[in-house]
Amino acid sequence: MKISVDRTLCDGNGVCMGIAPEVFDIDDDLNLHIVDEIPDDPAVQAQVRQSVTSCPVLALSLEE
Amino acid sequence: MVGDTSQTIVVAGGSLAGHTVVTELERRGFAGRIVWVRGQEGTAPYSRPALSKELIQGKVTAETIRLPVQRPYGPRTRIMDGAVCARLDPHADRVLVTRASREERISFDALFVCTGTNARVPRAFAGLPGVHSLRTLADAERIKERLAVRPRTVVVGAGLVGSEMAASLRSCELPVELIVQGQLPMEAVFGAELGRFCLEQHHANGVTTRLGTTVTALSSAGPRGPVTLTYDDGRESTADMVVLGLGAVTSCDWLDGCGLDLSDGLGCDETLRTVRPNILAAGDVANWRHPLFGHRMRVEHWSNASAQARHAVESWLAGQEDRRPPAFADVPYFWSDQYGLKYQMVGHARGHDEVHVEEAGAGGYPFVTYLREGRIVAAAGVNAPRAVMRMKARIQAELAEAPSAGGSSAGDPSAGAPPAGETTSEEVYAR
Repeated sequence: MKISVDRTLCDGNGVCMGIAPEVFDIDDDLNLHIVDEIPDDPAVQAQVRQSVTSCPVLALSLEE
Repeated sequence: MVGDTSQTIVVAGGSLAGHTVVTELERRGFAGRIVWVRGQEGTAPYSRPALSKELIQGKVTAETIRLPVQRPYGPRTRIMDGAVCARLDPHADRVLVTRASREERISFDALFVCTGTNARVPRAFAGLPGVHSLRTLADAERIKERLAVRPRTVVVGAGLVGSEMAASLRSCELPVELIVQGQLPMEAVFGAELGRFCLEQHHANGVTTRLGTTVTALSSAGPRGPVTLTYDDGRESTADMVVLGLGAVTSCDWLDGCGLDLSDGLGCDETLRTVRPNILAAGDVANWRHPLFGHRMRVEHWSNASAQARHAVESWLAGQEDRRPPAFADVPYFWSDQYGLKYQMVGHARGHDEVHVEEAGAGGYPFVTYLREGRIVAAAGVNAPRAVMRMKARIQAELAEAPSAGGSSAGDPSAGAPPAGETTSEEVYAR
């Protein structure tokens, strides 16, 4: 699993950070940081999948 | 594979919750047939939060806000655009689906109710030229079209939609007056401290406000003519366009008379099942008892619709597989964009009896925590995502450690019925 973010779309809305806080971090300038681009833990991977489909601006994508 | 090929699931509603139920059923390999009744709008699902913000401001289009479909819908998923569930059979697992003048009765093994809400428009204000509400893509496009003539706009109501609308119109450099029913915008959501901050932002960005005011009458001089507003203090004003932001009403009249709890939305147990356990709800319409907060609520926000839809699928599948359905215990979250600032809130502030205000984030904006009986139940901040999200985990942990009294067990559909007359809608609460 590899996560990527389209920074032209990401608006720092924080939905992903709410679902998978170990993977997504948004700073106070609303820039998204992917803390763990290739998570191993299946539970975290499930959170990441949920984050991708829950992104309100469709900025996240996934290579499995 | 889950379920069996003879089963039919009807999904009512074509926005985020309905979309997520369908994609989740497919992802989990549901073997039966899905009938997806997508509603009157007749459009593919789209991201609704963008309407009052990016779409009005011209940063996105109807095309770019479509929800992504990870893979094409399966051959056993039937999509009915422009169709609505008009009636549930009180005695059988069957819905009447209507599209234009055609009717069809569809029997189901499970029904997911994701019919959401409509904009609340007082009857006397409905259908007047120049008067708009904002709920659907078509609503937003109608408003956007009018912006070409650079209208003087009055926004009525200063909750989320009204405040965002005012901010979006100012970013297009259009004149805006905001009518605030209470003394502060967003006050019922955020409380006085952050409400005051919101008001300052509106003023600093050139919005004029009328506080403590309601509109008692509207009249329109025709499609191009001005709208006259009459206020409760007897004064009047005119505008080229009026946008109403008066909250939302749930759309579940079609379930009336079937023994379901419709006192505020569709009442469910903690697992999102109704008293008819093969009928489940998700999204704005779902009224459930939150096991951590210990009271019933309805949440009209993006993250909730998506998470509840996924959860409702799990609850139904658990029942099929003789597992105990889990309780839905997500801590609510929403955000709002106004004047380049990101407001974020986690938790549920209803019934709070104490607030703490400090500064957080690089901007040093107010950061508010809301407590009930000494425990943190919500937190809100401006451009401070780390501070807000840290509180999400903390709220979850604190409430889980000491769940409120009177908790009911998951799976008991009669548990936690709302006290008579209690209003739990966040938007109603927000007025």
